Formats: sequence, C-alpha cells, structure tokens
Amino acid sequence: MNIFLREIKANLKALFIWSGVVVFYMIVGLTKFSGFMNNPEMLEILDSMPPAILSAFNMNAFNLTTLNGFYGVIFSYITLIVTIHAVFIGSGIILKEERDKTVEFSLTLPISRQKLITSKIFAAVFNCIVLLLVILISNYLSVLKYEPDEIYFKFVAVSMIALFCLQMIFLSIGVLLACAMKQYKRASSAAVAILLITYFMSIITDFTDKLEFFKYISPFKFFNPVSILNELAVNINYVLISLGIVVVCLIGGYTSYLKRDLYV
Amino acid sequence: MNVIEINNLTKYYGKSRGIINVSFNISEGEIFGFIGPNGAGKSTTIRLLLALIYPTKGNAKIFGKDCIKYGPEIRQEIGYLPSEVFYYDKMKVIDLLKYSASFYKKDCTERLHELAEIMELDLNKRIDDLSYGNKKKVGIVQGLLHKPKLIILDEPTSGLDPLMQQKFFDLIRLENQNGATVLFSSHILGEVQKLCTRVAIIKEGQIITVEDIKTLQENNYKKIKVKGKYITEEHFNMDGVSNLHKNEDAVNFFYKGNINQVLKIISSNLISDVLIEEPTLEEIFIHYYR
Repeated sequence: MNIFLREIKANLKALFIWSGVVVFYMIVGLTKFSGFMNNPEMLEILDSMPPAILSAFNMNAFNLTTLNGFYGVIFSYITLIVTIHAVFIGSGIILKEERDKTVEFSLTLPISRQKLITSKIFAAVFNCIVLLLVILISNYLSVLKYEPDEIYFKFVAVSMIALFCLQMIFLSIGVLLACAMKQYKRASSAAVAILLITYFMSIITDFTDKLEFFKYISPFKFFNPVSILNELAVNINYVLISLGIVVVCLIGGYTSYLKRDLYV
Repeated sequence: MNVIEINNLTKYYGKSRGIINVSFNISEGEIFGFIGPNGAGKSTTIRLLLALIYPTKGNAKIFGKDCIKYGPEIRQEIGYLPSEVFYYDKMKVIDLLKYSASFYKKDCTERLHELAEIMELDLNKRIDDLSYGNKKKVGIVQGLLHKPKLIILDEPTSGLDPLMQQKFFDLIRLENQNGATVLFSSHILGEVQKLCTRVAIIKEGQIITVEDIKTLQENNYKKIKVKGKYITEEHFNMDGVSNLHKNEDAVNFFYKGNINQVLKIISSNLISDVLIEEPTLEEIFIHYYR
C-alpha cells in the first residue's frame, strides 16, 4: 500500500496536466459543436468534402450536426489522448526506477520485485481510471446545455468501457517494454511508436479494403464508435481479446523483470 | 555462526568480467573489510548479495538463507549504504525516511530521529536540494534506522567531511558492539585498517587473500626511499627487501620485516634524506600479491 500511495503522489502533477488536456479538449470540442448543431449548411459542406479526408478524421460515419455524431468524432481523439497517457504511465512507472537510479534504494528494501511492480501497475491503472472519470464528468458538464437524450449518455458510458480496454492494452504494452527491454530508456518511445503505427493502421483500413487484416492487429479497430452508437454495446469478443493481450503482456513483463539484472 | 557465506560466486556481464569464483565467509559480530581498486568487483559482489543482479554461477547465503530466493525476507535485517545514494528527488527527507521505515516490521521512528540528530541532518529539506554529502547522510540514516543485524557499506565515506566520517565510524562501531555484523567495502586501506577485524582483498574480480587485519599489518610492507650521494643498492642487499632500484641519488625499495634492521643500515650511512611510508593499495597489489 505504501508503494501504491507514493506512486499516486509522485504522479499527481502529471495526472493534473493530462486531466487539464482532456478538459480543455472537451470544452473546445463541444464549443465548436455549437456551430455545427442542427446546421444544414454544415452538412452540405461536409457532404462536398472528399470521402477519404472525412474517413481519416472519422467523420464519414457520423452526422456531425447531432450530439451523438459529434461525440463519435471526438471519441477518436480522446482515444488517442488516453492511450498515449496509458502507454507513458505504464512504461514510465517501471523504468523510472532504473533511469533515476533509485533501484538501489527501492529494491534493497524488504519487498519482492513482484510486489513492487504489482503496486506500481495498480497505481498506473488508478491514474487511468481517474483520467476516464475526468473525461466522463467534464463531458457531462459541457453537454448539459444541449439537453442530450438518454441514448447519448448510454453511448458515452459504453464508450468508456472501450476506452478502458484500450488504456489497459497500451498500459500493459508499456509495462512489458519497460520490463523486458535491455535499452529500457527507449521503452517509452518504442511503446509510443507501436501506438502510433497501430493507430495509422486503423486509419488506413478506412481508405482501402485490401488491408482488412489490420483490423485484427490494431487495437484501435477493436471498438468502432459507429457500432457502439448503433448497438449501445461493445463487442464482447474484442473485450476478451483485449484481456488476452493484457494478460500476455503482463506475464511477459513480470517474468522478464524478475530475471532482470538491475544496474545503476 | 556465519552471517554471510559466499560460495564460488561468479558474475559475467555478457562477456565482460564481473567477479570470478569469489568465496568467503563473514561471521557474526565481525567488521569485515572488503578492499580493492575501482572496478575490481566490490560493488558487483554487494549487488549480488542484495539480489539486484543475479549470479552466473555459485551462490551466497545470508543468515543461512539463499540471498536470491529469500531476498525480501533477509533484507528485513540488512542495512545498505550504496556508494552513491539516489532517492526520489521530489520527496522531503522525513517523508523518504518514513517511507523507508514503513517496510520494516518494527517501529523505527525513535531511531530515525536519533540518527538524524547524530548526523546533523535537516529532515525538512527536499532530497534534490541536498548536497552530495547531505544525501549520503540520508543514506546513513535510512540504512540504519531499522537496527539491522547486517550492515553493508559500499565506499561509505566519500562525500563526508572528516568530522562526519569520524561520527560515522563511531556509529558503526557502536552498532557493531550492539551485535551488528558489518561488511565494509572500500578502496582506502587506512579506513579499513582503522575499523575492520578481517579483510578480503579483491583484484580483477578475484579474491587474492582473506586475512586478519593484524596479520596484514605485521606483514605490512614499508615503502622506503633513501637519498644520499654515497648510497648504493648493495647497502640494502638483505632479507625482506624487494623491488630495489636506484634512481639518480636515491634508492627505492619495499621492506617487510623488522624495521630496526633497516634503520640501522640507514643510520650507519651518510644520507641526505629518508622517506618511509605506507605503500598505496595499488603498490600492495603490484608487489605484495604478485
């Protein structure tokens, strides 16, 4: 518990900054929406845009003049923000001990390596959940004036499940790389690279039908906001796949960290 | 009873040598010195004992238990002071020490404040505002606050002023009198001689000798330099002299044995200067343990 609390404290400032980013994004995004809402001209402009560009920004599937449609578009960007946060906190919370040379302190205390990283992972998950709550609350407060219906709130709630799955996937990828890479200092950048590559893979699949298999590689394709809106549910198969990825990454992370030589 | 038992401990970092077949025991209540030049493998040995790194071969036991397998359990009773201390920079000294204390199964608050007072440590400063020496003091308090049965010191005195060094040595002696076993690693022969009862000398990853400090002192070589116009190497052609060579008008050599005999020879000759000193550790390695 003491490690968990210390990590929460140590990450508090970063969490505030990330929260600030999502709140700012939410406010700006929904302020823009006031110009789109029930605006037929906007619809015409969007219709005249090339479909490829629209799909790149995930705008083709949604009617941007409705709140649901608008949130569907915002969702993609929020996904990117929370997964980048998750990947950084997952890798950082592990590798900082070696980078800051504090392993000679933290790992000469009477605790096992398992306990240390378990507490750290819990602290990282806690940070992710807080960020989700910040999104949920700031979204709720900033859409109130548009008087959203019940479906909107269900849509948002279900999308949180999808976001959480994605956060956990990238958090555990970050943990795995920080635990397993010899060049642990590059773990964060490597994890972000994986994140961006899979993100662009998910966008490319929208342009062409030939790269269909990317769907199964890119976690960003696991949860499609369009089907979340239509079905008001996430595809349980992809939740299970996410869980599988998390388990595999964590097992890999734990085993490599337990075997690892920690130098200063 | 042996507090530390090291058996053929070997560590390679990839292909480069860490330590090779290191074996020695430390019994309860000893202050055991561990000396060798930088890069000889002192810190590697200590990090293996603390399970920070894993051995390539061999094993080590602390309190009779394997130091890797029972690491967390035996570390309850180990106090460790690394050669360079690194703590979480953003924390206040007192918070860090309390955090450290929270891992031990006993109440350390009283001892924490006692030690901080002895070491004149300001508890309310932030770690990153501390000087190198003051960080070292935090390390000393952190390493001793749980009254460990085994104290492992890795070049502990660097960064401490002479006054603090003295206080620190007194503290270690006191801990030792109260029953703590001490492993003291250093490259400064003087401080090891002052404090330790037994020493292991390590060179290029291998233990050269494990000896009582008394034997070491009796066997101690003196480094002698005699200056004089008429002095020659032949004057010192006697037992116990080694590495004899003449350099301009001075004769240099190492001497081991009764100091009176060599003084007699020196005083029976006309000389202009004489210098008798302790050889440096380096020189011991080169001449004593060849």
